[in-house]
Amino acid sequence: MSLWHIAWNYLWNRWFTTTMTILSVALAVGLISSILTIRNETRKRFEEEQLAYDIVVGPQGSPLQLVLNAIYYMDNPTGYMSYSDYLRIKEEEDVAHAFPVGLGDTYNSFRIVGTEKDIFDYPWSSDTQLDSSGEYKKRYPFQIKEGRFFEQSMEAVIGVRVAEETGLTIGSEFSGTHGIADLGDHAEEMYTVVGILKPSGTSNDRAIFVDLVSVWELHATHDEELEEGHSHDHGHDHAHDHETKEIHKEDQKITAVLVDLESSSYRFTFMETILDDYKCTPAVPIIQVTRLYDKILGPVVAVLKAVGYVVVIISALSIMIGLYLSIIQRKRDMAIMRALGASAYEIFGAVIIEAFLVTLIGILSGWVLGKLVAILLGIYVSQTYGLTIYGLTTSIDELKFFAVVAFVGLFAGIIPAWEAYQADIAEDLQAS
Amino acid sequence: MIELTQCRRKLGPQVEFFCEEFKVGPGAQLALWGPSGCGKSTMLNLATGLLRPDEGIVRVNGTEIQSLNEGQMDRFRGQNFGFVFQTFNLLKPFTALQNVLLGMQFSDTREPDEWKPRATALLERVGLGHRLHSKPNTMSVGEQQRVAIARALANKQQVVVADEPTGSLDPKTAASVMDLLIEMCTEEEVTMLMVTHDKSIADSLPQRFDCTGLVQEVSS
Repeated sequence: MSLWHIAWNYLWNRWFTTTMTILSVALAVGLISSILTIRNETRKRFEEEQLAYDIVVGPQGSPLQLVLNAIYYMDNPTGYMSYSDYLRIKEEEDVAHAFPVGLGDTYNSFRIVGTEKDIFDYPWSSDTQLDSSGEYKKRYPFQIKEGRFFEQSMEAVIGVRVAEETGLTIGSEFSGTHGIADLGDHAEEMYTVVGILKPSGTSNDRAIFVDLVSVWELHATHDEELEEGHSHDHGHDHAHDHETKEIHKEDQKITAVLVDLESSSYRFTFMETILDDYKCTPAVPIIQVTRLYDKILGPVVAVLKAVGYVVVIISALSIMIGLYLSIIQRKRDMAIMRALGASAYEIFGAVIIEAFLVTLIGILSGWVLGKLVAILLGIYVSQTYGLTIYGLTTSIDELKFFAVVAFVGLFAGIIPAWEAYQADIAEDLQAS
Repeated sequence: MIELTQCRRKLGPQVEFFCEEFKVGPGAQLALWGPSGCGKSTMLNLATGLLRPDEGIVRVNGTEIQSLNEGQMDRFRGQNFGFVFQTFNLLKPFTALQNVLLGMQFSDTREPDEWKPRATALLERVGLGHRLHSKPNTMSVGEQQRVAIARALANKQQVVVADEPTGSLDPKTAASVMDLLIEMCTEEEVTMLMVTHDKSIADSLPQRFDCTGLVQEVSS
């Protein structure tokens, strides 16, 4: 019978205390593990989407809001810039690709993104991460699952989540709502779904892509109505024929331009160009998202981690107190073992093993708990923000944290083990 | 052979144990007898290394055990002594078989493949072949003391020390446990040192050592 077996028998003998101690360790580990998983995974997803574009150019305003709106389809647009600026930006020397986007309308709270169909052919490419063949990693977030990409005005390609949650299928018709909130709809102008995208784990899953021209046409109609003093009551029989309206692209507005440079190293000179030659704001997605993490999510994560570490310390104390009390009750047992020939080192070792077993089982249970929470939170984040969170991944940060907990658990065993080590055998054998 | 020579041990501010000379030879069965508080248990603890003398020599089979370090003492004790206590002192989380096995594991006097057959045979010998996998709290006091006897004899030890082994038993069970202990020590050819305050039990053993006066008050 090994010391492990002896330690296990003693833990089993006081199963209730042991279970409660393991539970406290598991809760601490689960809390931190889920926080780390969600943090790392969201960051990874955000970073993956940043692979797509080096710079986002938008109207003057908050660079963070610009990035959130143009890349992640969150928040409001910062305003409007002219399409002619886009045409000029596209011709800048350092620009490899540029795509205009116009956001404003929604359908069932899903963003309608006006853009041009070239964007569908453009793979997102990393400048730093290599794939297994040694090429820079590429992602294809616009792959058709059903149907086709849009070819003309009022055709829509929808993300997979949009299809799942709204029930839209190929051939379905829908009308957008002006803005994020319900500011009136374009009920007389119906989009037709012509394609559904494959799941990409990006915000594209929760977006509706239409030809930019559709957005302009709808808004031209909307503006006309406002100018004519019409109310937003669209129940009247005022018919509009969007095909009859002439759209002069150069006069139109967009909300941002997504820019891929010939090399990421041109970012800062290109930003200077934008600031000098355009009345626009350039934003580097990776910088903005890092700031978002550092300023907003950073403190939240730090507070949650602090809570987790406090729970770890409480767990360590409960391991120590539980073991210490158990050692006090078991002094006679320790003395018997010493009388049977066990050395003080063996007794010390058996107590340390008890602490280690409690910690190890706590860590494993906490890992499972943390993954469960991460999976559930991942489902929520995926449904709400379109970011795919892989709850089952385990990061280096988590492994380091587990090592810290294991060390703390072992450390918590030292005082009780020392108490056992120092026991006075003759006195403890006499005690009844 | 166990010898104590000029052994002194302080027990309190003005109380000390002193034994001029004590000797017991191999195979002997000896009662350490005397009234409560006379120093019987201290004598036993010194003889087995559970206590160390402040002065004097304790020699067991030629080894002066007071000079062994703590680890050597633990190992020596496990290899040379078997213990039977008044309150049995079985380890509650373990079965009868595991209690006997633990004694062999710590003392390391037998090959591991001998452990289980030896433990099983001893438990069968004390009439507990059907209780191998029972835990102490499911056994009667008599059964628990039988397990303790089996554990005390499990190794190749040469001395079994019994501290009031029948003190917690009813007279009928006490008699049968005494008989078993004497029988088994005779069969295994080991020395038996038994602490008792009961003169009739002391008289039932071939030799007796009167411990009266070993503990004395001293002036500070």
